[in-house]
Amino acid sequence: MKHALTLRVGPAVFRVGSPWASPLDALARLYSGYPDASDEPADFTVRLRPLKPWRRHVRPSIFITGDHSLADAAPMALAHGLLAAEMGMNLQMALGWRRHLLLHAATVEKDGRALILSGESGSGKSTLAALLGERGWRLMGDEFALVDLAGGGLWPFPRLVSLKNAAIEAVRGVAGEGRLGPLMAATAKGDIRHLIPRPEHVAAMDRPAPPTLILFPRFGAEDSAARPVDPAECFVRLTQASTNYVALGEAGFRALTGLVSSVPAVAIDYASGAEGIAMVEALWDEAR
Amino acid sequence: MSAVLLVSLLRDPSGAERLSGAEWTALIAAARAERLIGALAHRLAGMVVPPRVALILADARFDAETERRGALWEADRASAALAGLDVPVVLLKGTAYVAAGLSAGVGRSIGDLDILVPRGSLDAVEAAILAAGWEWVKPDPYDDAYYRRWMHELPPLIHRERDRMIDVHHSILPLTARRRPDVAAMLADAVTLEDGLAVLCPEDMLCHAAAHMLADGALEGGLRNLWDMHCLLGDYGEQPDWWAALEARGQRHGLGDVVARAARLTHHLYGTAVPERWRGLTLADRLFIARLLSRDGWGQERRWLLGQAFYIRSHLLRMPPTMLARHLWTKWRKGYRPVG
Amino acid sequence: MQYRVEPGIAWLAHELGPMTLLYHRRSGITHMVSEPVPQILDALNATGPADAGAVARHLAAHFDLSAEGGIEAIVAARLEELAGLGLIRIGAA
Repeated sequence: MKHALTLRVGPAVFRVGSPWASPLDALARLYSGYPDASDEPADFTVRLRPLKPWRRHVRPSIFITGDHSLADAAPMALAHGLLAAEMGMNLQMALGWRRHLLLHAATVEKDGRALILSGESGSGKSTLAALLGERGWRLMGDEFALVDLAGGGLWPFPRLVSLKNAAIEAVRGVAGEGRLGPLMAATAKGDIRHLIPRPEHVAAMDRPAPPTLILFPRFGAEDSAARPVDPAECFVRLTQASTNYVALGEAGFRALTGLVSSVPAVAIDYASGAEGIAMVEALWDEAR
Repeated sequence: MSAVLLVSLLRDPSGAERLSGAEWTALIAAARAERLIGALAHRLAGMVVPPRVALILADARFDAETERRGALWEADRASAALAGLDVPVVLLKGTAYVAAGLSAGVGRSIGDLDILVPRGSLDAVEAAILAAGWEWVKPDPYDDAYYRRWMHELPPLIHRERDRMIDVHHSILPLTARRRPDVAAMLADAVTLEDGLAVLCPEDMLCHAAAHMLADGALEGGLRNLWDMHCLLGDYGEQPDWWAALEARGQRHGLGDVVARAARLTHHLYGTAVPERWRGLTLADRLFIARLLSRDGWGQERRWLLGQAFYIRSHLLRMPPTMLARHLWTKWRKGYRPVG
Repeated sequence: MQYRVEPGIAWLAHELGPMTLLYHRRSGITHMVSEPVPQILDALNATGPADAGAVARHLAAHFDLSAEGGIEAIVAARLEELAGLGLIRIGAA
């Protein structure tokens, strides 16, 4: 493997390999503020691989693989190599992480307590988390919430935040151009740029916080609405949002039942980023 | 070379205390690619390793335990589904090893449930399995016709709720292969365990593992298959008359040369105690060894052409050449690519 | 038809309002059930190997049950489902 990079984010170390330099150059630049992990053994190996050996140079096409892979993954253009590397890291975590319960969720922290924003791609969780991170909240992560299997606390996993389409401008307006990665145009999910978390949030990547509110945000609704979600429904929704609940067995059962039994949940529908932020902060104030 | 390091640590774990961070990363990638991370984690339990490596190995042992539980549950469900039929149902491969508490099951990664039933009972077994919630995986009519006519197992089935696969075998080699194992003897001499599940007798377990790897396969997962055999031979090798019985059983199944080759390879790689006559390597054995050790520190198989040669060889073993050409042409026409 | 529970702690139960989550240890599968399933499982645990009639009588003795005639049929149906899922075993031993 011609080019390699080792990264630590929170509790996980990734070794990323690529026959092309450009994706790893981009990765190294954007993660330059992160702790040096070059001597650490890696929890996971990610490999960007040419789809076929001859596709390394001619119409280069990337197949994402590594320790864990999906045989039917769609290949990606070299221009989207940075995104491929990020997806590769997500894939390893989703399929291979066992030290915490994983939920597809963003997490932010304020005054020592954490908020979980649970949702799939398109729910707006990453955008909300990025905006909150610029308004006095600590960004703990935008893709995976890591729930401690013993005590139920949340552990940070602050990777680059993936912003899509209109969210790019909205975040650029508050965070500035210097904190954004290159534009990847016309990916399968539209235009994407990555946001580098604030340095103080990166520095806090080993500081956990207890969860005190769970939100299920839904972006793009006509009318804004907030509705409490009872623990049974919350449990079902979070098992669907978890990539490793089943793999964790008894420990997963205890962690998730503990979480939904002790932390209130609300589903919110909102039409704009500003509206979403306002609802989140209002609900947070109520929950104190 | 990571595959070489993997083999040497499985053989002698004490070498682990001198590895650098980068060497650990490469070793773990190779072990995962060979599906031997669980076995390695058990071999290294109790050794002094860096903290992160200790966590990685603990995760691997945890996953192996999860797979063991899942495998035994699938066996239990299959057993319940087939309880009404008066048919011997014999567990094969990884599930058999864990059900019987064998060392080959320690740290083993187990995918599908494999069972062996008499060919005459296939229709009844198929009906009972479908009635209990399993369904066909691939409805491709060519594959299906090929399976039913030539293969030693039913087309693959998956449980609709549990999402787990079951492979129902009626022999241990495809019907197109030259060799004719004595399946009736395998079924007759199967051993019943406490909970009513059955496994092959020890000699047949070895013959099956050797056949599966050498007479049937492309050598994929070969290091793991050989580790299974190393463990089985370790468990049974001390028994009186074991080696003579194994050799005789191998001859009976037309697998004598395959068993001998497997013994030579495990002895060479893992240091398995075997009789004198199985301690050298033939020229062909060395080609096998090269193929088996081709995994690098990124988890890739480096000698791609060698891999292709083995893939074609494995198909040759299953089918006469003219059939091979027709099968591959039909497969490639539909965009199928062999895993390489 | 006799049913029994497995020895030891066969499942972990956690109530979430009207629903009960059951983590079945032997299979690693989580089931979400509601009344009367948790009560039936507790009854079978208490009676030892039993048929639907015995379980129904145990329930009637411990709970205020309104539809007396139909209890055994309901219990029999639930027991069959539970056995199908492998949460309980068929037979006395």
